Formats: sequence, structure tokens, C-alpha cells
Amino acid sequence: MNASAHSIPHGHDDRDAHGHDDHGGGHGHIVLQYQPGLPLSKGKLIMWLFLSTEIMFFAALLGSYVVLRFGAAVWPKPHHVHLSEPIGAFNTFVLICSSVTIVLALEAAKANKVAMAKNWMLATLLLGCLFLGIKGYEYSAKFSHGIYPAQPHSRIYEKPDLYYGAAVRARLGEPAIIEQLKELDDTPEEKLSSDEASARRRLQKIRQMVVSPDQQPFDLAVVADQIMPLPSEGTGGHGGHTEGLNDTFPWLRLPAVIPGGNMWASTYFLLTGFHAIHVAVGLLVFAILLTYRLDRKRAGMIENAGLYWHFVDLVWIFLFPLLYLF
Amino acid sequence: MSEHSSPAESHGPITRAGALSASVAAHDHDGGHGDAHADGHGDDHGSHGGIGQYLAVFAALCVLTTMSFLTYSSVWPWRDEPHVGWAFMMAVSCTKAMLVVLFFMHVLWEANWKYVLTIPAAMMAIFLALMLIPDVGMRNRMAAQERVLHMARPSDVLLMERAAESQMLADPASH
Repeated sequence: MNASAHSIPHGHDDRDAHGHDDHGGGHGHIVLQYQPGLPLSKGKLIMWLFLSTEIMFFAALLGSYVVLRFGAAVWPKPHHVHLSEPIGAFNTFVLICSSVTIVLALEAAKANKVAMAKNWMLATLLLGCLFLGIKGYEYSAKFSHGIYPAQPHSRIYEKPDLYYGAAVRARLGEPAIIEQLKELDDTPEEKLSSDEASARRRLQKIRQMVVSPDQQPFDLAVVADQIMPLPSEGTGGHGGHTEGLNDTFPWLRLPAVIPGGNMWASTYFLLTGFHAIHVAVGLLVFAILLTYRLDRKRAGMIENAGLYWHFVDLVWIFLFPLLYLF
Repeated sequence: MSEHSSPAESHGPITRAGALSASVAAHDHDGGHGDAHADGHGDDHGSHGGIGQYLAVFAALCVLTTMSFLTYSSVWPWRDEPHVGWAFMMAVSCTKAMLVVLFFMHVLWEANWKYVLTIPAAMMAIFLALMLIPDVGMRNRMAAQERVLHMARPSDVLLMERAAESQMLADPASH
């Protein structure tokens, strides 16, 4: 690209142009520069080409999510899968802030304010870490409810059918659980809190229901509701969260029913996982940039890192409403 | 960078039109020109962003995020009509995306190359999503018996809701 750059004055043919240049003139002429290809630096061009592939990558992911979601017979409400909208909104805010700080870092570097550029860059890095931290907290909340993208960790069943009943029986029949249940049964009533005492009574009833020979189809729905209730929409967040047996006795880890929950978990972890990987890569780039002196010469590098970071922010702008509010 | 500092040498025929348009494009665009160029137009470059403008965009983004969060709150009047909320949120998201792309990614001030890179990618993206509809989106229209047997259906959600309302295991001490 750079080998074939030329300069010719405007309004003359090539031969004339060289004549003028040789005389050292050229003042008053517009100097034209021939530049094949796109008129931007190579780094920026490569970053934009990469981003255009990323647009297609995330469009495919988001597109499949939308298509899967609206093609599904049942899709869980955000509350059913223990998503917290305020946390998601706060994470959106964190990413928007980090987008501003990286822009400010670029402006500071362009103005040759090295220390300021470094501070803004550091702020971006910390905000990105905060985002990942909150994301990790959300993931752990899912895991604690048995929501994993796949077996064998996932304890999500689509509906309270015979397979679900068999899974609950199998879990209750595990030697370790039998041991724990025995210990719970032997604990005197005074040593339990009122919640625990109530949960113990309900657990005993459930144990009878799942092994009962004259079990009705509806019984398993009641069992599922006791183990992990689906919070109703109006309750909002954790305030109205009715505790299930899995919450009162975390060691139980009984199978739970979330209609449509398995497909939801697959798409949620794939989408947010890929986004989190992109965030982590961005943080790595910022960490590397922080080792440089962020003056005007580095403005191009900061700009390219910033373009990538804005794109990551952009993906989250669509992910947040699609995952948390739809 | 080096493409601007190369000596004037003619390797072959250069069409005037090509040279002109390239030059115009080169002057339109801002970053990555190296020190000589940046020094000459330093003030120009600062002004197209402007800290104040960035902060205004930031404020707009915060307001828009709050607006889409509004659909979740009890203030939202169309709680029974989810489609209204979805359309609203997508409109808000697209506005936010445009703000980020135009101002933070400086696309507003870029030369016409931006269309070369973004439009084909965007068309590809839309095409990709559309092509998923027949196979994936309509997969349950004519699903196999076995799949229908095992997948969750609206009746299962109803069953769970009724179980939650039932007082079958009602415990006076628990609530």
C-alpha cells in the first residue's frame, strides 16, 4: 500500500507535475496523494474488518436466540430462572460508563495528557472487571439453583412428568442423602428454626408422595413446586421469592422443574459466555496498553482497542433487554 | 504513516479521477495519519468529539437504559401486552446502538469507507438470522411425536401454577 503512494499537483498532467516538483515549487498547489485501498490506517482497517466478522458472529448468536425463543412452545419468565433485572440494568450502566472512560482515555492521549489517559484506561479496566464480577455472581446464583447449560450438573426438568418423579426418587435414594435425611429427621424440633421445621414436614410429605403407588399426575407438580417454586411475575426480584426445599436445605439439591428451562439455560450461557470472553479479551488488551506510555503516538492503538470495547458494549445493549426483559 | 511520506515517483498511470477521490477521502478522515497530519489539524480532531458531546451521549444512554428498564417496573402501562414492551425495548436498543456507533466509535465523522465495511456485514447478519427461521423457528410446527411428548407445553406451566396455588401441603406454620 505504501510503496505506491504518489503526489501530483492538481490541474496538470503527470509530466507537468514532476516539472513543478523538481523546481521545489508546489506552493499554491493542492498536493494530491494517491492511496489505493481504503483511506485509513492498517490497524484501524483490520479492526473494522474484524468487527464486521464479529457483527455476523453475534448476529448469528442473537438471531438463533430470538428464533429459538419465539419458536419454543414455552419459554421461562426471567423470574422462573432467577434472573434479576436490576442487576442486569446495573451491569448495562457499568459497561456504558466504561465506554465513556475509554473514549476519554483516547481524547486525553490525543491531547498528549499521558497521566490522564492512563487513569481513564485504568478506570475502564476496573469497570470491565466489575462487570465480569457481577456476571460471575449471577452465574453462581444460577448454579446454586441447579441451572447449568447441560447434564450432569443441570437439575432442570421440563415438566413434572414420570421422568421427573423418577429423578426425585433417585436423588432421595442416594446413600449420602439418606444419611442426611436421617440426621434431619432425628433433630429435635426445638433445634430447628420455624422455617426449617415447616420445610421438614413438607419434605416428609413429598418423600411419601414420590413413592406412593396411587400417585396422581398433579402430585408431581406439587412436589416440583415445593422443591423449587416458580416465582410469580408480580413479586419482583428476591423480595417475593418463596423459598423452596432446595433453598432451605441446600444439601438436598433435588431436581427442579422449569418449563423451557433447558433451552433457556443453553442460550443464556452461550450468549453471555461469549460476551464475557469478549470482555475478558478487552480487559487483557487494556492491561497490555497500560504498560505503554499513552501519548499521542499511541492514540491509534487506543482508538482500535476502544472500537473493540464499544462493540462489546454494543452487544450487551442488545443482550440486556433480550435476556432480562423479554 | 508512511504512505504519505513516500517520494513522488510514477510507477504507472494514475487516473486523475482516482487520485482526486482518494485525496478527498484522505482529507475527510481523521485518525491514523501520523504525526505530521495530526499536528496540523490537532484542534479539528478534538472538536469533532468534544468531551461535552461524549458526556451528553453518556447521559442519553443512561436515560435510554432507564427507559427500557421501565418496561419491567410497575409504571409500565402495557404489562398485559408484551409485544408493546418488546417493540419499545428494541427501538430503545437500536437508538442506544446508533449513539454508541456514531459518537463513541466515531463513525459519524468517518469517510465513506464505513459503508463498505458495515453494510455488507449488516446485510449478512440479517440474512443469517432470517435463514434460521424455517429450520429452527418453526421446528415445533411439525415436531416428531417423541419431541412433543418430552417438551414443555403451556399446559405444564398451568399445571405448575395450579400446584403453587393449591393448599395440598399447606402448613399453617410456614406462612
